Amino acid sequence: MKTITNIVLLVLLVVFTGCYDPADPRVNLREGVGSDDIIDNIVTRPVAYAFSALIGEGIGVTQAVTRRNDAGFLELHINGHNRSQFTRRFQYRVEWLDENGLLIQTKTSVWQRYSAMGKSPFSLKVVAPRKEAVNFRMDTRKWE
Amino acid sequence: MKTKILEIIMFFTVLIAGCAQETAYIDTMHDDGKAVMGLDYRDFDQAASKMVQSMLGSGTLKKKDASRYVMTTGRIMNDTMQRIDTDQLMAKIEQELLNSGQVVMTSAVGGKGAPDNMVYEMRDIRDSAQSDEFNKDTLAAKGQLIAPELSISGKILQRNIRYSNNVQQVEYYFQLKITDLTTGLRFWQEETLIGKRGSNKSVSW
Repeated sequence: MKTITNIVLLVLLVVFTGCYDPADPRVNLREGVGSDDIIDNIVTRPVAYAFSALIGEGIGVTQAVTRRNDAGFLELHINGHNRSQFTRRFQYRVEWLDENGLLIQTKTSVWQRYSAMGKSPFSLKVVAPRKEAVNFRMDTRKWE
Repeated sequence: MKTKILEIIMFFTVLIAGCAQETAYIDTMHDDGKAVMGLDYRDFDQAASKMVQSMLGSGTLKKKDASRYVMTTGRIMNDTMQRIDTDQLMAKIEQELLNSGQVVMTSAVGGKGAPDNMVYEMRDIRDSAQSDEFNKDTLAAKGQLIAPELSISGKILQRNIRYSNNVQQVEYYFQLKITDLTTGLRFWQEETLIGKRGSNKSVSW
């Protein structure tokens, strides 16, 4: 009996790992699109969703880069990742600061909506409307 | 009997006044108010912000000789079911473009809301007998107006779609384009979509 169980497990392992074809990391194959594997399959998925909700996974920002574009305006590029299994909808607002750290009053600093799908990277781009902007501060809130 | 009637009237007055919704200021910086099916100021703020960022990010308004483009606002069509003054959108955009230092707007020509009639009224005065009342040096001479190089025009349009028996979907498209008035070539174009889904009972006009 033990041998049969071991064989079945081995077969399952070979089937799952044998079919595993590592995709290009730039391509995100979602549930129902890509093949199931030993980590992400019909059995483990509900557990993963429940665990994600339990530990309160959410958005993480991996990189915030600023650069000046050809016209001389500061651009903010945010790269992040939605660590949650669920789509995260949020709002963000970027305010621009001059060289003295003072706020630049602009009508473009308004709450914007954004949505990042579960377990996916996302990117944001915001352009400062004044050339005197040298720094930024960004705020987020839940999109109810 | 009379006192009793008065007491009843007073009771109802207090009751009705107590139920009345108090007027409060909107916190426009952090407005957590519920979305409405029509277009409200938050939608215009968002659309204007996206448009300005797209314009400035594209580099379209960067002039080769580092001077500023002279721009006018052309026709902005309201193709929605709502009574919208399109200046509500354009005033924000014009203000930001002016403040960006890349553009100077002209009030001499343009679509609805863009021209300042005083430009021509002062010229009418200059050419009339009334001009004697003015210091000639302070009156605009002929040939002083600067023609616009660029024009910004566009459209706000609305589509209502029946989503299900009780739910409707309303799509608002903000479309803007910048045209070079010398060559007629289009330098920049952008569309921003704001979509809302809500009860069929909500009115979007």
